[in-house]
Amino acid sequence: MQSWRRKSLWLALLASWLLVLLGLFPLLRLAVPTSPRAGAPQGWPRWLDAELLQSFAKPGELLEDGPRPPQALRGGSCNWGACFDTSKCRGGGLKVFVYPAAGPVSETRRKILASVEGSRYHTLSAAEACLLLLLSPDTSTGECDPVPPQWDGGRNHLVLSLHPAPCPRTFQLGQAMVAEASPTVDTFRPGFDVALPLLPEAHPLRGGVPGQLRQHSPRPGVALLALAEDGGRWHVAGTDFSACPWDGRCEQDRGPKQTHPGATLPNATFCLIPGRGPDVLHFLQALQAGCIPVLLSPRWELPFSEVIDWTKAAIVADERLPLQVLTALQEMPLTRVLALRQQTQFLWDAYFSSVEKVIHTTLEIIQDRIFGPSAHPSLLWNSPPGAILALPTFSPSPSDFPFYHLQQGSRPLGRFSALIWAGALGQPPLKLIQAVAGSEHCAQILVLWSSEKPPPTGWPKTAVPLTVIDGHRKVSDRFFPYSAISTDAILSLDAHSSLSTSEVDFAFVVWQSFPERMVGFLTWSHFWDEARGGWGYTAKRTNEFSMVLTSAAFYHRYYHTLFTHALPKALRTLADEAPTCVDVLMNFLVASVTKLPPIKVPYGMWHQEARPPPLEPGGPGLRQEPQPAAQNCINQMAAGFGHMPLVSSRLRLDPVLFKDPVSVLHPRLLHEAA
Amino acid sequence: MCASVKYNIRGPALIPRMKTKHRIYYITLFSIVLLGLIATGMFQFWPHSIESSSDWSVQKRSIRDVPVVRLPADSPVPERGDLSCRMHTCFDVYRCGFNPKNKIKVYIYSLKKYVDDAGVPVSSTISQEYNELLTAVADSDYYTEDIARACLFIPSIDLLNQNALRVKETAQALAQLSRWDRGTNHLLFNMLPGGPPDYNTALDVPRDRALLAGGGFSTWTYRQGYDVSIPVYSPLSAEVDLPEKGPGPRRYFLLSSQMALHPEYREELAALQARHGEAVLVLDKCTNLSEGIPAARKRCHKHQVFDYPQVLQEATFCVVLRGARLGQAVLSDVLRAGCIPVIIADSYILPFSEVLDWKRASVAVPEEKMSDVHGILQSIPQRQIEEMQRQARWFWEAYFQSIKAIALATLQIINDRIYPYAAISYEDWNDPPSVKWGSVSNPLFLPLIPPQSQGFTAIVLTYDRVESLFRVITEVSKVPSLSKLLVVWNNQNKNPPEDSLWPKIRVPLKVVRTAENKLSNRFFPYDEIETEAVLAIDDDIIMLTSDELQFGYEVWREFPDRLVGYPGRLHLWDHEMSKWKYESEWTNEVSMVLTGAAFYHKYFNYLYTYKMPGDIKNWVDAHMNCEDIAMNFLVANVTGKAVIKVTPRKKFKCPECTAIDGLSLDQTHMVERSECINKFASVFGTMPLKVVEHRADPVLYKDDFPEKLKSFPNIGSL
Repeated sequence: MQSWRRKSLWLALLASWLLVLLGLFPLLRLAVPTSPRAGAPQGWPRWLDAELLQSFAKPGELLEDGPRPPQALRGGSCNWGACFDTSKCRGGGLKVFVYPAAGPVSETRRKILASVEGSRYHTLSAAEACLLLLLSPDTSTGECDPVPPQWDGGRNHLVLSLHPAPCPRTFQLGQAMVAEASPTVDTFRPGFDVALPLLPEAHPLRGGVPGQLRQHSPRPGVALLALAEDGGRWHVAGTDFSACPWDGRCEQDRGPKQTHPGATLPNATFCLIPGRGPDVLHFLQALQAGCIPVLLSPRWELPFSEVIDWTKAAIVADERLPLQVLTALQEMPLTRVLALRQQTQFLWDAYFSSVEKVIHTTLEIIQDRIFGPSAHPSLLWNSPPGAILALPTFSPSPSDFPFYHLQQGSRPLGRFSALIWAGALGQPPLKLIQAVAGSEHCAQILVLWSSEKPPPTGWPKTAVPLTVIDGHRKVSDRFFPYSAISTDAILSLDAHSSLSTSEVDFAFVVWQSFPERMVGFLTWSHFWDEARGGWGYTAKRTNEFSMVLTSAAFYHRYYHTLFTHALPKALRTLADEAPTCVDVLMNFLVASVTKLPPIKVPYGMWHQEARPPPLEPGGPGLRQEPQPAAQNCINQMAAGFGHMPLVSSRLRLDPVLFKDPVSVLHPRLLHEAA
Repeated sequence: MCASVKYNIRGPALIPRMKTKHRIYYITLFSIVLLGLIATGMFQFWPHSIESSSDWSVQKRSIRDVPVVRLPADSPVPERGDLSCRMHTCFDVYRCGFNPKNKIKVYIYSLKKYVDDAGVPVSSTISQEYNELLTAVADSDYYTEDIARACLFIPSIDLLNQNALRVKETAQALAQLSRWDRGTNHLLFNMLPGGPPDYNTALDVPRDRALLAGGGFSTWTYRQGYDVSIPVYSPLSAEVDLPEKGPGPRRYFLLSSQMALHPEYREELAALQARHGEAVLVLDKCTNLSEGIPAARKRCHKHQVFDYPQVLQEATFCVVLRGARLGQAVLSDVLRAGCIPVIIADSYILPFSEVLDWKRASVAVPEEKMSDVHGILQSIPQRQIEEMQRQARWFWEAYFQSIKAIALATLQIINDRIYPYAAISYEDWNDPPSVKWGSVSNPLFLPLIPPQSQGFTAIVLTYDRVESLFRVITEVSKVPSLSKLLVVWNNQNKNPPEDSLWPKIRVPLKVVRTAENKLSNRFFPYDEIETEAVLAIDDDIIMLTSDELQFGYEVWREFPDRLVGYPGRLHLWDHEMSKWKYESEWTNEVSMVLTGAAFYHKYFNYLYTYKMPGDIKNWVDAHMNCEDIAMNFLVANVTGKAVIKVTPRKKFKCPECTAIDGLSLDQTHMVERSECINKFASVFGTMPLKVVEHRADPVLYKDDFPEKLKSFPNIGSL
C-alpha cells in the first residue's frame, strides 16, 4: 500500500515537474520576444470601420479644381517649353550658327569651332539658324565678349564653355541655355541646361584615345579600389583597404601603397571620386581606364545626365556611409561588375574621347529636344554604338536598326534586296541577275544605272521585281538610302561581279547571324607601312583581312543612311574623286560603328571544275593591287576619322560540311551544303 | 511556482506518516496534475495556428477610438520647406545604417486625432486612400515597428489633400511627433497641393526638411533627387472595370475629356476641332443629365453623351491640360485606357519622372504650341504610336493602378537612392513584361577583341587515365598561346602522380583535387584561372593538332562571348514524338559544340556554378552526363547567340561511344542526350539554342595557296 502511495506520489511529483517545465516555456517565450509575431499586436491596424472612411478628395474635386489661365513665366527661371522657340527649327531641324571669335583663338576654342563646323547641323547664316552658339572666352588674354548681335535676350542661344570662364560675363544670360563643365546641382536646370564633362586641356579634337579596357572581366588580383588624389593622381588601395581609405585622417593605416606619379590612369576595379570640386577630372580618367567610378555625393551634375543613364556605368554613393559602400563594392555580384565596366568603355568611346564627340553629343541632345517624340529612345543613347551613330531619322523603332535585335528580342527581316551598280556598262548583267534572282531569299533587284548611255530596255524576266534607278554617276551614289530598298539586308553588287545562287544564299544566312557587320566574298587587308610611315592596304591573299569589297557584300540598309547623312562631306567627296576609295570608306564607316571586323565567306569554291573568271581585272570589281594614289586614300580616311577603325580577322565562315570528304561521298549533302 | 517545487521536494519525507484516507486526496491531486499536463500539452501544440493568424497580429479597432491629442495654440511650427535640400545635406543616412538586404526600414506613427485648443479637429482623421497607403507600407518588407531601427518615418497625419486640412495646425501636429527632429527622414504624402487662389505646386504645410512625395510639382518647387513626384490617384481605378484594349488605330485621333478648362484653352481646343473635324473630339460636362447618374462618369459633346472613362479607349491621343493644379487625376484614367497622354502643362514634373522614361509613353507639348498639337502628333509614325499605347497601359498597371502601387514605387525610389549599388535598373522600371521576356542582355556586350598575349588556360578534367592525360598535357603544351594548364583531379580514392612524373612543359601546371567526383567540377571558376579564355579539354582528346587549338583560340578572341568548339551537334524537333531530339549525324547545321574541347569565357564558369537555373547542375552531377549540353544551353540563353564550330572536325576519337558494343550503347546514349535537351528546355522555359549553318575556318583554308605561307596549315580533318 505504502509502495503504491509512494509510487503515486512520485508520479505526481514527476508530473508536476513536467507541468512546471511545460508551463514555463510559453511564459519564457513571452518574456523574451524572439519573433515580433508573438508580441503585442503590430502593423497598421485593420480598422473595423475602414469601409466608412471618406475618400481624400470630395466627389468632383478631382475633376474641377478651378480653371486657371495660362501662366506667365516666372522671372529668371527657364525651361525648354518656355524659353526655346522651336518654330525656328521647322523644316530643316537643328541648324547651328557659331559666333565668330573676336581676338586670338585659343587651342580649345579652335577645336570646338572645328567640331561644330564638322557637324551636320552647322550653318553659316545666323538668320537660318535655330540655335546660336556662343563660346565663352576661355583664355585670360582673350577679351570678354560683348553682347553678341543677335542676342535677343538670349533666346535660342547656347552659351558653351568647356572650362570655367576666367572673366565674369558682362551681360545677363537671360533665356540662354548654358552648357558648362560639371555645373553644380543647385544652379543646373534639368532639361534646359546641358552638363558637359570637364575636359583636360590636351583633349584631342577627333578620334581620341580608345578606352583602356582590354578584357571584359577584371584581371584576377587587380586592386579593388583606387582613390582620387590631388593633381590627377590615383592612390591604389589593396584589397585589404582600411575602413576609410579616402579620408585623409586615416593616413597611417593605409594598406599597401602604390602612388603613381603624374596623371596616370588608375588600375583598379573601382575608382573612388570625392564629390567636391576639382576631382571631376578624375571622373573621365576613370571612365577611360574602365575603372568603375564610385562618386561620393557629387555636388555637380554628371555629364549629359539628360540622356545618359549613369546608373549603368557608375555608382553614386553617400560619402557618409564609407563602410557600407566598401562592403557593397566587395560583395557586388560579378555580373554587375562586368556590366558596369563595359558600359564605362562604351560611354567613353561614344561620347567623351574627343572634343568633337563632346560637342556633337551636346548638339544631339538639343536636336532630341526639338524632335520631341521622335528623339532617340533611351536604348539608343545607352547601348553601343551610341546615339551619335544611331540616327533617329532612320526609324523610330530600335528593331529596325542592326544593333538592337538582342535587346528587342527581334530578328532582321528574312529577305534581301540586290543592288547592282551598273557603271560604265552597255549590257545588262544577265548572268548575275539570274543567279541572284534564283535565291529564295531575294525580295527584289535594283539596278542603279550610272552610265552615260540610257538604260537598255531589254531586261530579263525574273521571279522577283526588277527596278532600274537612274543614278547620278557619282560613286558615292551607290550608298544612297533609296526609298525603293524595302528590306533590311542589301546585297551590293557590281555589274562585273560573278556569283552563284548558292553562294548568295549561304552569305545571306550568315549575314542574318551578324546583321551589324558586312559579309563579303572578296577581301583586302590594311597594314602599317613602316617605310612610308603611313597606312597601306593590299588585295593580296593573306592570312587575315580587314575589309570586304562592296562589289559583292551583304550589309544592313542602315549603313546607307549613315553613309549619306552622318559622314563628313569631305570624305564622301574624296571617295567620289578616287572610286577605289569608296570601298575603304564604307569599311571604315562600318568598322567605326561596330568596332569589329567584317566577315568573309568562301568565294568560287563551289565551281571547282571551272573557277569563275575572277571579277574582271581593272573593272570596279576585283581591283588588283591598289594604285599609289588610292593608297593615299586610306591615310586621308584615317585622318578624317581621327584614328584607324579597321579591325582584322583571321577566319572565314564556311558551310558546316564545306570541302568535307563526307560531302563528296554523299552528293545530297553537298547539295545541301552548297 | 517556486513554492510548489519546494513542496514537492519535501514530499517524500512525509509519506510514511500519511493515512489511507489521504489516498483519495493523492489520487485527486494526481488526476488534476495529469489533466493539467494534458491541457498544457494541448496548449503547446495546438494553438500555434491561432497565434500566427493575422487576426491576432493586427488590431481590429475602430477609428472612433483613436486617442485625441490637443495642440496648444502656441505649440511650435516647423520652418517652411528648405528648397536647397538634397539627400546628402538634409537626409540623415546614418539612421539607415548597414543593411545586408539593402532595404530601408520604415516606421509609421500610430494614428491620433488632433484637435486645437477649442477642441475643433485639425483635419479629418484619415482618408480611405491614406489608410490604404499606410496599410500597404505596413504590409511591405520595408515596414518596421521598432522606431529606434527605422530610417524613414511616415506620419499617420493625412496630408493627401491640402483642402481638407488646416495648414498651421497640421504643421504643429507634425512638429510634435516623437522623432520629428526638424522633419529629418520624414516622408509626407500629398496629392492635391495648394489652395485657392494661387494654388501652390507643393504642399503649403511648413515641413522643414521632410521629404515630400507630391502630386503636382513644378520645376520650381521640386527638389531634384530629394522629393518624389507621385501621381494623383484616380478613384475610378478601383470603381470601374476597364479591360485592356490592344494598340491600333482608334476612332478619334485626339480627345480632350477634362471638364474644368480655362476658357482660353477651351477656345484653342474648339479651334482644333473646327480645323480637323471628326478626328478631334472635345468633351465637356453634361448639362442636362437626369438625376442619379454620377456626373463623373459622363461626358458630353453638344448633345451626344459619352461614358467616361470608356470613351478614352476610343482615342489615340488624350490631352492632359493643367488645371489649377499641375497634377491631374485624368492622367491615370488616360494611361489606363491605353490612350497616349499629351501633356500640356509647362514645368510639370511628371509622376516618378526620376525613374520612368515618359518619352516612351507620352508627348509633352509646350502650352505655347497648343495650336500646333495636331501637327506634332501627326508626325509620329504608327509603329511608335502602338509602342507608346502599350507603354502607357503598362505604366498604369505598374505604378498608377492602386494606392499600394504608388506607395511602393515611392519607397523603392527612396530606397534606390540610399542603396544605389542595389538599385533597380532603367529596364526594370520601364520595360513592359513582354519586352523583358523576349529581350536578352548579353553580359559580354562590349565589342572587344582581347589581346592575343593574354593566352588561355587549359583545364583538363581527369579521373585516373594518367597515361592519356600526360599525352594530352604534352600535346596542349605545344599550343603557342597556352598560358597555364590546370588539371582537375576528380578521383578521391587515388592520389595524383608525384610531381616528378608529370611531363615537363613550358607553362605552369597546377593540379586541383576535388572533394567529390562530379562533372560540374570541370566548370568551376577556380582561382587559378587567370586568363579570360578557358579551354576545357577531356583527358583523352589527343587528336587535335596544335594549329587547330591555336586557331580555336584566335576564333574565340573574335567571339569572346560564345562557346567555340570543334565537333558540332544539333537539336531537332521530333514532330512525331512532339519533343526535342539530339542529333549527332553529320548535318549542315550546328546548335551545340561538345565541351570535350571548347574555348569559352571564364565568366561562364561562374554562371554554371552559381547561376544555373533550376536543379540542372545537380541533375547533371547525379546523371554523370550532359554537362556539355547544359553549358551550351546556359551560354546561348544568357547571350542569345549561337555557338561557333571551328574546323571540319566532326567527332573526337570516340568519347561518345567508349563501350565495346558501339551500336547499342550509342542508341541509349542518344536517348539520354535527347532526354537532357527536353529536361533543360523545360527548366529554362524556352529553347535558347540557336541553329547556324556556318563554321569557322582559317581565311586561306583549302585555298589554292602555298601551304607554308598559311598561318594554320595543319588544321586536321575529321
